[in-house]
Amino acid sequence: MKAIFDTLVGRAIIVLLTGVLTVQLSSQSIYESTLASEASLANQELLVQRLVSIFQSVARLSSEERDAAAHELSGGAVEAHWAGRPRALGNAEEEWRVLRDQLLGRLPPGLPDRVLVGKDGLNSSPLHLAMISMQLPDQSWVNVGILAPHFHPPRPWQAIAATTLVALMVMLASVLMVRWLARPLEQFAAAARSFHVAGSSETVPEGGPREIRALAAAFNDMQARILRQTRTRTQALAAVSHDLKTPLMRVRLRLEDVGDRRLKKALEHDLSEMERMIEATLNYLRGDRSAEETQAFELVALLRSISDDANDLGQDVTMQSPSTVVLRGRRLALKRAITNVVQNAVKYGKRADIAVSVEDDEAVITVRDEGPGVPADKMDSLFEPFVRLETSRNEATGGFGLGLTIAHEIIAAHDGTIVLRNRHEGGLEVEIRLLLRGPIGNVLSHNRNAPTEQF
Amino acid sequence: MNEPHILFVDDDVEIRQLTSKFLRQSGFRVTPARDGREMREALKGTQIDLVVLDLMLPGTSGLDLCRELRASSSIPIIILTARGEETDRIVGLELGADDYLAKPCSPRELTARARAVLRRSMAEPNRGYDSWCFSFAGWTLDTRKRELIDARKVVIDLSTSEYDLLLSFVEAPQRVLSREHLLDAARNRIATGFDRAIDVQVSRLRRKLASCPGGEDIIKTIRGAGYLFSPEVRRT
Repeated sequence: MKAIFDTLVGRAIIVLLTGVLTVQLSSQSIYESTLASEASLANQELLVQRLVSIFQSVARLSSEERDAAAHELSGGAVEAHWAGRPRALGNAEEEWRVLRDQLLGRLPPGLPDRVLVGKDGLNSSPLHLAMISMQLPDQSWVNVGILAPHFHPPRPWQAIAATTLVALMVMLASVLMVRWLARPLEQFAAAARSFHVAGSSETVPEGGPREIRALAAAFNDMQARILRQTRTRTQALAAVSHDLKTPLMRVRLRLEDVGDRRLKKALEHDLSEMERMIEATLNYLRGDRSAEETQAFELVALLRSISDDANDLGQDVTMQSPSTVVLRGRRLALKRAITNVVQNAVKYGKRADIAVSVEDDEAVITVRDEGPGVPADKMDSLFEPFVRLETSRNEATGGFGLGLTIAHEIIAAHDGTIVLRNRHEGGLEVEIRLLLRGPIGNVLSHNRNAPTEQF
Repeated sequence: MNEPHILFVDDDVEIRQLTSKFLRQSGFRVTPARDGREMREALKGTQIDLVVLDLMLPGTSGLDLCRELRASSSIPIIILTARGEETDRIVGLELGADDYLAKPCSPRELTARARAVLRRSMAEPNRGYDSWCFSFAGWTLDTRKRELIDARKVVIDLSTSEYDLLLSFVEAPQRVLSREHLLDAARNRIATGFDRAIDVQVSRLRRKLASCPGGEDIIKTIRGAGYLFSPEVRRT
């Protein structure tokens, strides 16, 4: 029930139904009361005619035949008897007075004014709504009991069926209409969801009713302002990072004149660190808009390059893999992502053990280290830009807090997942899952419907 | 042989001076130029063996200068840029540059690239710039994208030194190459800062080639002599 109230369509239906039911029920009751009074008037007229005809028939006969005739004339709601005395008590209530007056008007004139309407004096049977006694010219009486209600209201199920049918039609019509009204709002939701400062965002079409048009215009305007603002800042940051490269190049060149070998080595190390940070910042700011094409590539060779490069730097990195795992994706972007993860492991966890396996339609890459791990409550925040764990980070280890952010963005853009977890044996395990576009046979011949071109 | 003559084009005066100084110490003759105009002047007057070209120049951009140079000569060109965008590199190489370096680079990296490019241009003085792929045994080495594509049409990632080594092989296929020759070709090609014995590099390259069936014995060891790249190579 809550779910119905939850949607615009549901609420609109309820509003409309309430309105329709109110109108329907009130008009029904007005109709019925009018009908009832009409019917009672018509019934009363019939009753009067019948009473008059019973009176006249009985009056014409001899006294021996009278009671039998009265019985014959009975039927339906009317039960007539002939007797020497009146049975009606003459205590007629207001509602019968009209009947009595009508009877007096119809019965032959000149008759003694003796028409009694009221309760049955003989037995107060609840069956008799009323008893009418009319005196014949010879002083005997015709007693007529009125048995049944003289009005049948229309059967209630008809009214209910009519109301239900109208309600169903209203519901159907309102579903269609409100859908039509709500469509622009759904487009809003889609546009708001797809809004991303780093990507190309779609604007909301400014159509529909005036309120929605105004909302769409306001939304598009807000989106444009946010984009302008972030773009200005991104450009500023990119320009700074870029401009740093020229002085860094000079420092690199001047370093050649440094005679002290240890000093030179230390300075070169610092310089490399700075270059990496600038590169990371630029990569992050560039976001996932790189023009790199999607291609089939050998994941094993790529990981091999990463671990060989790390080994060349004297880092403790091992690798276990099958002989071939082919992926489709942006190779250089994924290389950057995995390199970041491996470098993170080396930096904070002393070493990195890379393992690749294939599970169903996914390539699973795990990178394990022997560091202190990550407190559970900090796990998610590690993917946020510029977040660093206070405990394990210092100037010697460097880093900028962008490595995992970039890795996460790239992997997410490939419909993959990256998960951090602490190992029982100690250390952190990073698990990257990437959709396998099949082993090579599949890539080339069996064209899966996966939208590989979109990222 | 005379010292190779490098024309170094960069608008930053200090980078120009410092680089020139380093290149001279490394055994090159250097003429610095600050923009396209000075570059054209220098080219008119002297015999230049290699142009090192910054992409961000006042006036005519480096990419335009590269196109202009390539239109009139086959002089080797190395592009240098601070932008570091993948597209820049591909456009630069498409315009006919021989190599590409991202700023800031170490001066030793620059001399290593310069030597490699010079060596290649001397080996093949009249090569065309419209072919940048080597094909062998179903594989392709794309020198413009620096990509190795195997017989399955799958890209095999190569480190810089593996790429250089493979390039040395495909440029001299079906010939025994000594370790010294290969080492010389790959010398100083050490962005990482570590010297690696040529055998290690060859075994790494072999392992990468082996990921595609049939790739295991592309590079053969010739006992006591060196290595031999066995398949036939075509330029495409």
